[in-house]
Amino acid sequence: MFTFLRRRMYTSLIPLIIVLFGVFFMARLTGDPTNLYLPVSATPDQRAEFAAAHGLDKPIWQQMFDYFSGVIHLDFGESLKTGQEAAGMALKAFPATLQLAFVTLLLSIIGSVIIGCWAAYRPNSLADRFSSLLSMTAASVPDFWFAITGIWVFAVVLGWLPTSGTGGVLAWVLPIATLMIRPLGVLTQVVRGAMVSALSAPYVKVARSKGAGDLRVVSHHALRNAAAPALTVAGDLAVGLINGAVVVEAIFGWPGIGKLMIDSILQRDFAVLQAAVLLTAVSIFILNIVIDAGLALLDPRVRDKATV
Amino acid sequence: MQIASLRSPRRRLSGALAVSAAAMLAVSGCSVANTTQGESASPDTLRIVLPQEPPTLEPCDASLTATGVVVRSNITEPLIERDPNSGDLQPKLASSWKQVEPNVWRFTTVSGVKFSNGATFDAEDAAFSIKRTFNGAIGCDVNGYVFDDSKTDVNVVDPNTVEVRTEKPDPILPLRLSFIEMVPRTTDADAKVREPIGTGPYMVDFWDSGQRIALKANPNYHGAAPQYSRAIYQWRAEGSVRAAMVTNDEADLATSLGPEDGAGDLGTAYVNNETTALRMQATDAPLDDIRVREAIDYSINRDGVVKALFQGLGKPAAELVGKGIVGYNDQLTPTPYDLGHAKKLIDEARADGVPVDRTIRLIGRTGQFPKINETIEAIQFSLSKIGLNVKIEMMDTSGQMQYQTRPFVPGSGPVLLMIMHGNQAGDTQFTLDQYMLSDGYQSTYGTAAYDKEIVAAEALTGEARQDALAKVLADEPTKIRQYAYIAHMEAVLAKSNKVDYQPNSATGDEMRLAEMTHATSQND
Repeated sequence: MFTFLRRRMYTSLIPLIIVLFGVFFMARLTGDPTNLYLPVSATPDQRAEFAAAHGLDKPIWQQMFDYFSGVIHLDFGESLKTGQEAAGMALKAFPATLQLAFVTLLLSIIGSVIIGCWAAYRPNSLADRFSSLLSMTAASVPDFWFAITGIWVFAVVLGWLPTSGTGGVLAWVLPIATLMIRPLGVLTQVVRGAMVSALSAPYVKVARSKGAGDLRVVSHHALRNAAAPALTVAGDLAVGLINGAVVVEAIFGWPGIGKLMIDSILQRDFAVLQAAVLLTAVSIFILNIVIDAGLALLDPRVRDKATV
Repeated sequence: MQIASLRSPRRRLSGALAVSAAAMLAVSGCSVANTTQGESASPDTLRIVLPQEPPTLEPCDASLTATGVVVRSNITEPLIERDPNSGDLQPKLASSWKQVEPNVWRFTTVSGVKFSNGATFDAEDAAFSIKRTFNGAIGCDVNGYVFDDSKTDVNVVDPNTVEVRTEKPDPILPLRLSFIEMVPRTTDADAKVREPIGTGPYMVDFWDSGQRIALKANPNYHGAAPQYSRAIYQWRAEGSVRAAMVTNDEADLATSLGPEDGAGDLGTAYVNNETTALRMQATDAPLDDIRVREAIDYSINRDGVVKALFQGLGKPAAELVGKGIVGYNDQLTPTPYDLGHAKKLIDEARADGVPVDRTIRLIGRTGQFPKINETIEAIQFSLSKIGLNVKIEMMDTSGQMQYQTRPFVPGSGPVLLMIMHGNQAGDTQFTLDQYMLSDGYQSTYGTAAYDKEIVAAEALTGEARQDALAKVLADEPTKIRQYAYIAHMEAVLAKSNKVDYQPNSATGDEMRLAEMTHATSQND
């Protein structure tokens, strides 16, 4: 097990390092922050002074060296916009994204298991059709459209929910509903497919012949075997949720890491962008390890194959 | 492997459920914000939603729209204010002012004014604030925008008198000074401040970076206390979300809306000071031929753009400044839409060897104004019909700014740049210096003769000034034609029925909270 995890950590570290290099260079492709932070009339001397004060006058390789040596010493630099520590800003924003992603994923799993099992157990039932609809919606409707439509219907027309913000439980509903569409649609299809296979497997027939009831067959026999593919997909979706809450956070004014990234890109706040991406990448790295460990626990073949 | 075998599925499931339940409780129990909707929905609190967070609240950067709308005349005040409706200058922290020599102006400061920290305001603070703005080390936006980095000497004559001496006579110095916000002499002169101290009706309560800014009434304010004791600014990028916040009673005011954002009856359209135009980079072929630039001007369907795309919110423009600005020329008429004439001009240029087939870049800024994408596409379509090869490039603000301000991107080729210019100051000089002088910060072309005409007009005062500036504007299309003017814009502001407020041309840059009162029906 530990060999398996160690090997997975090594392989996951490579994309993490690529991301770090990538974000460093791509952040700089957005342009020179001097144009944003100094007035249009700034003299060449003022521009040079600003660049020197923020290390932007150094060759790119030296900036990169400074950045990585700072990271090793847990110094992620300061925000150009606020002067605050970049790491502090990222750490402050991250819990908001985690909360949103966690609740979304949890509700998606619960919903997909219920709908997927029902759909698999009763093909062509209402649940089966609903799962197809969810799947199609997830594939075809952009988050942006769903968010705006949700605001219009539930906040403006019906007046049931706030349009945005973070105050109170009701403020969670629209962002979570928007974020849930894709994972719920995908997971429901996965659970349904896995359950259809599992319900037709010989061990289920054996269980039935021994007198097991429908609920017991689904929950104790079929669902356990259908859980592995669902967990794999859920893991990927969790990564996507942390990484992809950007649109939802921007529209709903949710002060999470996605919104911080967007703001940092627009403000060319390199240090904050780098800290936010690094934090997200590390979280995804840890999440991947946890998912792999979970899969290995559920299915011995996974770790056996990996440790051979 | 051993771990797995020791755990039964039942225990694993119940464990997972317990962890999930605990996590759910934890999540639902803690809010990501530090206040709730209820707290900010007090009747004495104004809730305002802006398109973006102010990058700074530094008073010397108040000429930045996003900063000025929160800071100016709310937290800090200038010596003199310009009435956005009449254009007249009115006393604020200066009770009077006069030109004592051709290049010297003297300002008398009012007595009995205190900053929000309790310190008394006097001429020393006024001098400090002016000098701080000119301090190149902190790079004040106002300095370049309003003063063009000109040399200025400031002296305190007595505790109530401050004198400003300029290199050359400056007939509009009081107007320029209306852009300098007064701060106490204890303010850091060598670094920008995050939470300014001022004499305005409000002071910063807290700034929760990324989420909101709260202001509260300044207990030391020298004027009548504002009706609303608090103001909370939030920001949402989507116009439809901002409008929905007002219709859903989550905000009292939402700014920078488009006609399609859904403010409905709560939306108020008003003329702002913005004008849209295409800036033609006349230094590169084929735009270096005035016939090509004229043809581009003739191929813009201004009426169609305003009617179909802006839903009537705007007026076709014939110049870069709007009504109410000193120098505005009310005799000018927009260039007519005439594709036939435009095509004829292009054909003539082609016959003379002008490379009219060369690709021209049409650069726009995403989200600069509602329907900008459609406007740019409509212009490209017209230009293709007259035989020009135009490629659209939409950029974010920072990308587009590299083409809008000096130093320009070298080797950029022929560029048509969509610009939107707002003259906040009320005098055409601020437009001409930036956009028309051949070396203006936002100008790509000009001639020595036209520069001379501009400088001569700017030295005048009174009626002569108005007439000369108006002539400069009238001459631009014939002598230079760097711009194809499109429209004088109108903005939409969504306002709750609970608030009385009349937006004006300056609202986008300076939204005075003290002018907002409880609606009459609310007081009954």
